[in-house]
Amino acid sequence: MSTQSLTKAKTKGSPVRRLGLGAAVAALLVFTLFPVYWMVSTAFDPKALTRGSDLLPSGVTSDHFQLVFERGNFGTYLLNSAIVGGATILAAALLSLFAAIAVARFRFRFRTSVLIMILIVQMVPLEALVIPLFIQMRDYEMLNSLLGLSVVYIALSLPFAIWTLRGFVQTVPKEVEEAAYIDGASWPRMFWSVLLPLVAPGLVATSIFAFITAWNEFVFAYTFMKGSDKYTAAVGIYQFFGENSTAWGPVMASSTLVTVPVMIFFVVVHRKLGSGLAAGAVKG
Amino acid sequence: MKPSKTLIDGSGPDAGDTLTAGRPAPANPTTDKAALRRRRRVELTRPWLLLAPALIVLAGLLLWPLIQVGKLSLQDYEVKFGGGVGTFTGFDHYADLLTSGLLWKTVLPNTVFFAVACVGLTIALGTLVALLLNRLGTTWRLICSIAILAAWAMPAVTGTYVWIWLFQPQDGLFSQLAGAAGLIDPATTNWFTERLPFYAIATVNVVHHGFPFVAITVLAGLLTIPKELYEAGMLDGANAWQRFWKITVPTIKPVFLVVTILSTIWDFKVFTQIFVMPGGNGSNPDVYNLGVFSYIEAFAKNDYGAGSAAAVLLTLLLLAITIVYIRTLFRQGEEDL
Repeated sequence: MSTQSLTKAKTKGSPVRRLGLGAAVAALLVFTLFPVYWMVSTAFDPKALTRGSDLLPSGVTSDHFQLVFERGNFGTYLLNSAIVGGATILAAALLSLFAAIAVARFRFRFRTSVLIMILIVQMVPLEALVIPLFIQMRDYEMLNSLLGLSVVYIALSLPFAIWTLRGFVQTVPKEVEEAAYIDGASWPRMFWSVLLPLVAPGLVATSIFAFITAWNEFVFAYTFMKGSDKYTAAVGIYQFFGENSTAWGPVMASSTLVTVPVMIFFVVVHRKLGSGLAAGAVKG
Repeated sequence: MKPSKTLIDGSGPDAGDTLTAGRPAPANPTTDKAALRRRRRVELTRPWLLLAPALIVLAGLLLWPLIQVGKLSLQDYEVKFGGGVGTFTGFDHYADLLTSGLLWKTVLPNTVFFAVACVGLTIALGTLVALLLNRLGTTWRLICSIAILAAWAMPAVTGTYVWIWLFQPQDGLFSQLAGAAGLIDPATTNWFTERLPFYAIATVNVVHHGFPFVAITVLAGLLTIPKELYEAGMLDGANAWQRFWKITVPTIKPVFLVVTILSTIWDFKVFTQIFVMPGGNGSNPDVYNLGVFSYIEAFAKNDYGAGSAAAVLLTLLLLAITIVYIRTLFRQGEEDL
């Protein structure tokens, strides 16, 4: 009780403090959201290029979006990104769930070594992987193929997914599993009817994160995809940007199309992911 | 479960012998033993069966390429029709790399100073925001969290485009504002051609993208600190500054360590944010960082060996930081990692 009144007095007390707090919140909101606002408002601004320092757009038009789809072939790029992201989700969710159960539920030799290895591969710079993987994929003739790109993304999203899901699996009490065994369930049955439903929210959150990884990735998509019909959205904008280096309206329109789904997903998922992330990042 | 099992085991054969001749009494313990052995075998193999698919993918697509990049860095690799040909050249690429003026005068300073600036600013801003969130009521904390998440969720590519657009010569918002304030002449100033402003913009971009992780992780740490500690500090007359350094920092030091090391690892290997910027894709060697340098050597100059050597250098740098990270995690008393 006394603690609460004390903190209340502290935060709501003097008007100077409240003013400072308000200013800090305003600064934070401007810094975080202004780039997003500038992107979206430029995308809808009919005179995007000559906008200069006008904070409000000069009007609202969907011309830039139409241009991006009709001449920029952006629909194909978005579809490619969605296909690659979908393939990544499915495989990464399945593989990481199995692996997470293994490291969270079983004690076996080299378990710690496996965990440390998973931590270490997360740190590997993409620049070191892109050269050998480019050569490997070229030898297997998987360059310029959505499948080849998906396979790489599955590998890239696995370490984080395993690490996060491990936290979710650990939160399922072991007693629940044991109860299932006592009722005569086999391991697969227990997995399907007990563990999977309980881990499902975490699995969804982790999968969406894997999707975002694939959706945002640039280096591999840029290096592997040489035919413009195979571009993912992130590379598609870069192309667009290179050709018309001053066409900021279409560039911001395509950026909006890439960014907004990710933001919505991310904000929705973050609470779910929070516990796993905290378990992974803070506690190791 | 276990005690009841031994009970049945012990009484099983006797009961079978005396009561029912039809029941295969001696078989009972052996099948039981076999079942036990099978269970132990399952206990041993199941985790590996579960791990196998993930480990195979990781080994094939992350570990094997790492070995390959090490091998490539010792070769002159040429792309010819029907495949590449590697000629072993020993440590030539490393010797070239480590004696090149470009590495010591441009690439490494860019990489290191940029990473240090980004990490410092990310941690400082992230911590300040966490402290701010900690003081807010539920509604405002939610609003600010969502804004922070939006910054976090901004993809590296599109985020960089927005910052380029904001700083675009002539038409960009900040160019116009700086011109209006008389600081620059917007018609002749291009912030992207000079090393320092180029990296200043990249730093703003990376900090904008990176501080949300720090803020949210540090906030999670702050929430675990017992309020009594602060009350005691206030009773002892400590001001807010002292309370932060004497109570907050020592109590959640592990959290600070982890976010610092993770940010260091991430900021050392920044690639997309630099590559996508004007001049960042190789046309302006002044702004190379280690990752971009490696990429340009390999893919623009087709010198896969030299590119691999630079990539190995970057990997070794990151590995050193990673080892510190893992030791920190263990020292945190994470006995059951």
